[in-house]
Amino acid sequence: MESLEALVAHIQGLSGSPEEVAHLHSLLKQADGDSLRSHAAALVPFLTHLSPEAHSLGYLYLLEACATSGANLGADFLVTVADFLTACSADQIRLAPDKFLNVCRVFKDQVMLLNTPIRGIAPLRAAVRKIQASPEQLTPVHAEYLLLCLLAKQYKAGLSVLEDDIFEVDQPKDLFLYCYYGGMIYIGLKKFPKASELLHNAVTAPMSSLNAIAVEAYKKYILVSLIQNGQVPSFPKYTSATAQRNMKNHAQIYVELSTCYGNGRYTDLETFVESNAAVFQSDNNLGLAKQVLSSMYKRNIQRLTQTYLTLSLEDIARSVQLDTPRDAEMHVLRMIEDGEIHATINQKDGMVSFHEDPEQYKSVEMVEHIDTSIQRLTALSKKLASIDENMACDPAYLLKGGITGDSTTTTSTPFHTSIFEMI
Amino acid sequence: MDLSAVQTALADKSYSALAPLCDDILLQAASRGATTDEWPYAVHLLAHLYLNDLNSARFFWKSLPQEVKDARPELAAVWRIGQCLWNRDYAGVYTAAQGFEWGTDLADFITSFLESYRKRIFQLLTSAYSTIIVADVAHFMGMSEEDATNYAVQNGWSLDAATNMLTVKKPKAQTNQKLDASKLQRLTECVFHLEH
Repeated sequence: MESLEALVAHIQGLSGSPEEVAHLHSLLKQADGDSLRSHAAALVPFLTHLSPEAHSLGYLYLLEACATSGANLGADFLVTVADFLTACSADQIRLAPDKFLNVCRVFKDQVMLLNTPIRGIAPLRAAVRKIQASPEQLTPVHAEYLLLCLLAKQYKAGLSVLEDDIFEVDQPKDLFLYCYYGGMIYIGLKKFPKASELLHNAVTAPMSSLNAIAVEAYKKYILVSLIQNGQVPSFPKYTSATAQRNMKNHAQIYVELSTCYGNGRYTDLETFVESNAAVFQSDNNLGLAKQVLSSMYKRNIQRLTQTYLTLSLEDIARSVQLDTPRDAEMHVLRMIEDGEIHATINQKDGMVSFHEDPEQYKSVEMVEHIDTSIQRLTALSKKLASIDENMACDPAYLLKGGITGDSTTTTSTPFHTSIFEMI
Repeated sequence: MDLSAVQTALADKSYSALAPLCDDILLQAASRGATTDEWPYAVHLLAHLYLNDLNSARFFWKSLPQEVKDARPELAAVWRIGQCLWNRDYAGVYTAAQGFEWGTDLADFITSFLESYRKRIFQLLTSAYSTIIVADVAHFMGMSEEDATNYAVQNGWSLDAATNMLTVKKPKAQTNQKLDASKLQRLTECVFHLEH
């Protein structure tokens, strides 16, 4: 192997045009390996001769050798990695994605080891953007980033990657973790519709054998569905057979909880949650289970709005098992504040009148909203049609389809119908 | 750590920009392993409350080490406001905000927070009630009954002095009815397409 000095000189000399970088890459590949790793401690001083921005590829190789050598590299090393992740050139590091992912992983492990997850958030957020070829691509860094956000309680920071629609996935595990952690972020922020969407994706993703992430996601999915809708939808048709067959056996208590919820009696549900508190606690779901419990008042009040136009606070308190009319008034006020019902309280008569949704679907905002939804969905539909076409041309698929007699059109129908349901 | 941006925002009273600004500076500083002793925790927490972003406020508080909470009485006082907001203790918010000697940095920010909070609560009362007794308005608005009555009457509510009951005047919803013709055209085409 060449001396380290020579290697560093190559890195400095060959980081300009794409051809140079390609040549450098082949040199780096030769130099890479145990010999580079065994010099890990000696490599750190050389890093100061390189610019993370201009010499990103070479910098990455040396950094990765340091990071994976297992040597103790000191506290400054984390700052070095953080600066590199923020400053590096996306074009160069994408030539060696595996190296880059290794560096990210070691960095994440280190900040977790030091119990300072917050240190990793800004660098990994930058890292996601560097390694992604498009915002639609899911990378292993996504899940690492979301995990750090959860641990550092920086939930809002997590939204920056969650707001992109994911379309390309390389590793199933990335998707499961992304959906699970993402679901937890949205739960923390009490954005239950988004939470249930992500958890639902983890539950219904293709799987040939059951995995623990999907099971935990299913438990949370049940709780979130109850909070949000008061019921748990059954598995859609495209759910894997494995999940449909086995999921419920692993979440028995949760399935029973949803049955109990369906009966609509607060005291029964309270007893159920209390007697199974240990299970919820050990799953780290007790807080969420308690939110399910308190959502029942809300659900029952919402149900009343479907039957009555006006109702006295006293009657509301009685029918949803609240102690006093004042409690009922505060619950109704709270729900009005959160936009969960449309009603006005008349203190003079002690009555509540329930209203229809005042939205008349004729405002400019609503037209804008409908317009953007339609555009988004037509774009999505086109994308799915093109995948469908690609799949129909795939020899492997045709071979399999030919044997089972399946036609391509049947696979595409669920997509298209669901799109129009979404509008 | 460079706090000049935070100071500028405070001085300019651009309070709604503070929360994202503080979040960002804190994350950047943390990634460099910087110590955060100088960090304006109380301002950061109040910035979340100002936006009524109770979740971020709650998580921010939870993420702080105990010694940070113990050493900063002003921060703890801001959190007491946060707790009242979280528990919807409407009257408690005013008591917590007025029951502390705020430093010069925070005094104006607190005043401004209370102002916007009061406005929000008044809007809530306007939409949630058709009639409401004076005592409750005073309770929700953190005012004396007399002030609360005046405030409400100024906003067009009417008082029945015999029963001390206020009748709420609902403002007419103003919707912008001017439509962009091209959007309507596109919508029409889409519906036409779906029907044929």
